[in-house]
Amino acid sequence: MKGLHIVGVSHAYGENKVLDNASLMIPAGELVCLLGSSGSGKTTLLRLAAGLERLQLGKIVIDDKIVADPEVHVPPDHRGIGLMFQDYALFPHLSIIDNVTFGLRGMAKPKAERRAMEMLGRVSMTKYAQSHPHMLSGGQQQRVAMARALAPEPKLLLLDEPFSGLDTNMRLHIREETLTVLKASGVATVMVTHDPEEAMFMADRIKILGESGRILQSGRPHDIYYHPQHGFVAKLFGLMNRFESVIVGGCVEIPLGKIRVKGLGEGRPVEVLVRPEGVILDSEGKDGPVIDVISTHLLGHDNIVRVRLSDESGAKEDEKELYVRAHHAFEPELSNRITAGVDPEYAFIFPLDDLGGMAGAGYTAWPQPHAAE
Amino acid sequence: MAPTAKMNSWSWINVWSIGTVLIAAWVVLPIVAVLYIGLTPSDEIWTHLASTVLPLYISTTLQLMIGVGIGTLIIGVGTAWLVSTCRFPGRRLFEWALLLPMAMPAYVIAYVYTDILEYAGPVQSLLRDMFGWTTKREYWFPEIRSLGGAASMLTLVLYPYVYLLSRAAFMEQSVCVLEASRVLGRGPWRSFFSVALPLARPAIVIGVSLVLMETLNDFGTVDFFAVSTFTLGIYDVWLNMNNVAGAAQLAGLLLFFVVFLVLTERFARRKQRFHHTTSKYKALPGYELEGRARQLAIIGCALPVVFGFVLPAAVLGSYAVIYFEAAANPEVYRHAGNSVMLSALTAFLAVAIGIFMAYGVRLRNERIVRFMARFASLGYAVPGSVLAVGVLGSLGALDNGIDGFMRRNFEISTGLLFSGSIAAVTFGYLVRFLALSFGSVEASLAKITPNMDGAARSLGHGPFSTLTRIHIPLIRGSALTAAMLVFVDCMKELPMTVILRPFNFHTLATYVHEFASDEQLGEASLAALAIVGFGILPVLVLSFAITRSRPGHTKKDQSS
Repeated sequence: MKGLHIVGVSHAYGENKVLDNASLMIPAGELVCLLGSSGSGKTTLLRLAAGLERLQLGKIVIDDKIVADPEVHVPPDHRGIGLMFQDYALFPHLSIIDNVTFGLRGMAKPKAERRAMEMLGRVSMTKYAQSHPHMLSGGQQQRVAMARALAPEPKLLLLDEPFSGLDTNMRLHIREETLTVLKASGVATVMVTHDPEEAMFMADRIKILGESGRILQSGRPHDIYYHPQHGFVAKLFGLMNRFESVIVGGCVEIPLGKIRVKGLGEGRPVEVLVRPEGVILDSEGKDGPVIDVISTHLLGHDNIVRVRLSDESGAKEDEKELYVRAHHAFEPELSNRITAGVDPEYAFIFPLDDLGGMAGAGYTAWPQPHAAE
Repeated sequence: MAPTAKMNSWSWINVWSIGTVLIAAWVVLPIVAVLYIGLTPSDEIWTHLASTVLPLYISTTLQLMIGVGIGTLIIGVGTAWLVSTCRFPGRRLFEWALLLPMAMPAYVIAYVYTDILEYAGPVQSLLRDMFGWTTKREYWFPEIRSLGGAASMLTLVLYPYVYLLSRAAFMEQSVCVLEASRVLGRGPWRSFFSVALPLARPAIVIGVSLVLMETLNDFGTVDFFAVSTFTLGIYDVWLNMNNVAGAAQLAGLLLFFVVFLVLTERFARRKQRFHHTTSKYKALPGYELEGRARQLAIIGCALPVVFGFVLPAAVLGSYAVIYFEAAANPEVYRHAGNSVMLSALTAFLAVAIGIFMAYGVRLRNERIVRFMARFASLGYAVPGSVLAVGVLGSLGALDNGIDGFMRRNFEISTGLLFSGSIAAVTFGYLVRFLALSFGSVEASLAKITPNMDGAARSLGHGPFSTLTRIHIPLIRGSALTAAMLVFVDCMKELPMTVILRPFNFHTLATYVHEFASDEQLGEASLAALAIVGFGILPVLVLSFAITRSRPGHTKKDQSS
């Protein structure tokens, strides 16, 4: 089948094992993000796919052709893979246009230059064609690097943390531009990042890497956010309120209320993770435990509110402080009794005794009316 | 992972790594040849040598090393300290002028001083005229053609190594450390001995090791002064006693001295890395010297420059004018042509091979490739006399092999193809100076991020195309500098050229040596001056680098 197929790859630098039996399927025509923290071996996976690193164990297949196994090593210049580096790696001694034509080997010069100008046009960099890399800003260099990588029409484009060198404002802007250019070119893309928000924004599909290149979850951004199958995955997207509890009568009870659970046996210890938007504050103060507001932080449309459960809630000391995402109109000063409840859609339950064998384990809370029964 | 390692254990085999390993092996060949010949049992030469001349060689060599070591240490560290931490008139000038003696080959300065200081020379004549002495017995005058004389000559031209390295070390010392020391109540003088000097010690040790390697390498001076060092002994046993095995045995023994020096140098380099406690550099404020101290500082910096460069250059210059008719003959131009041709060829090859090896190491950073490359760049430490024995030994074996093969199969005698040819000289030069080009190419390649390679490769360019289109343009500057350094070193080279050159073939260096040894310095003056002229090139480059790179000194500081 078309696409990149990585099968059972293990890799070590000296004593340091970075990938352990990692397998990964990336179908053609999609933008896939590999999301993982440092040490998850994501960059090594890219370098192996591109052929910059020699494969030690396993197999790499591109479009049904083995490009690397312990005997075969197709050199990077024969893989037809485009690569964009974190530092862009523009050739400092070549002009922008020469950087872009560099990959158009075997093409007649006028034709190559036409093609290069077309690519520079796509990233709106035509007027810098005769400049040299050091004269450009970080964002401009990023665009040139993309034009250069796309010019030879690679089967697959690999991006290694393409936005990490840019400041925050610039990043949002360039991210959008990049996405437009990539979609327009239709090239299959694998992007490595450690920024969950970036992955959510860019990807058709996100693959979350745990330690040693193990895939913890793979799915559309929506699935990853709303149906995390692993505590680690759930925690990737910002703050989480964490509780520990046990299953009693098909339910799990946390200070915010009871949540029904399917598929977990009686008496199993579990971890309950509730997103800040899953904590519902009620300024009418009817049901549920009473909270005190510690502080509110305006983020724009929403507030992040730090609250503390009252002592009567019976919550354990380290589970009393909560983060809540509330509408900006929420004004705690106007109310003297606020209570809290939980929205099960934003609550995720994972067994605590499931050591190691997490893959595929995902126990979603049953949708049910909010607050306790 | 065990099966993986096994499967890939031969994966480093490719053009680059094989090439690197082969070149390295070829470069190491002369050293192996020396050890091989030296260890092959032969007649009783060794016991004979050991009981007669060997103790003399060892003690003379050690004395010379100690003399030159102490001399360069005092002059080099002293002047470096003065120009880097004190302020006095002429400091900026001395900063680079102190490097000038580097341009003088030791043998040239030896000829000049002998000419000036010998009995018939101008100095003694003047003294006799002034005091009315008529015979040598009436007064005492130091004999220049002595161990002490040789040590002085070598010290005068070799101290810049120590100066250069210790100056850099003093400049890099964070001013904070020195100020802390002064705040803690130590005066400038004690701060120097208790803080600055210990911090600079690794750099000084490297400098002195390099100086001692050059001392062991020297042939021209000790030959002229008849100081029986190891190097001279090797030539004596080889050429006068006509005993190659004996020469090789001496050469092998000399290698022990070299190993000691190399280990010292490497050890100091490793230590150097840990010595930077802070990266905060600030221009050293400098002690403003006044009165007597100022005069002493100026004199202290001026003397090495005057005696190491200005005076001998002036003498040579005046001779060149006086003896111009005799000195500027077509023969000299031909020798100059030979020198330039050999040096340029070697410089080109050394840089090309250096680039190949450094790129090979970069492509496949396997232990064996790396090790061979390191090993191949040890030639700089091996004295020319030892290499000469090794080059002739290995090429001789090769010639005999080819000759035997051709005779057996084609009944043609090829005779000596390589020995005594320009190829032999070039080979010797390459072995000795490859480290220079390899080192600087490797250092500047290291500054290119590996992502450049990755980008070029993923854009469809193979390793060779990547090298020519990305790396070579990016390292061009330092490759040219390396070529220049090799070129100049070849121009000055004497101990190997003297032996390895073809019959009736002269370079400027061998020509100067031959004529000056015959006390015909006038005839050789122009050629000697030419060597010195070329020698100034690297001094210019170094002094340019000095004024440009000053950690913690901004442009504004400099102008103030």
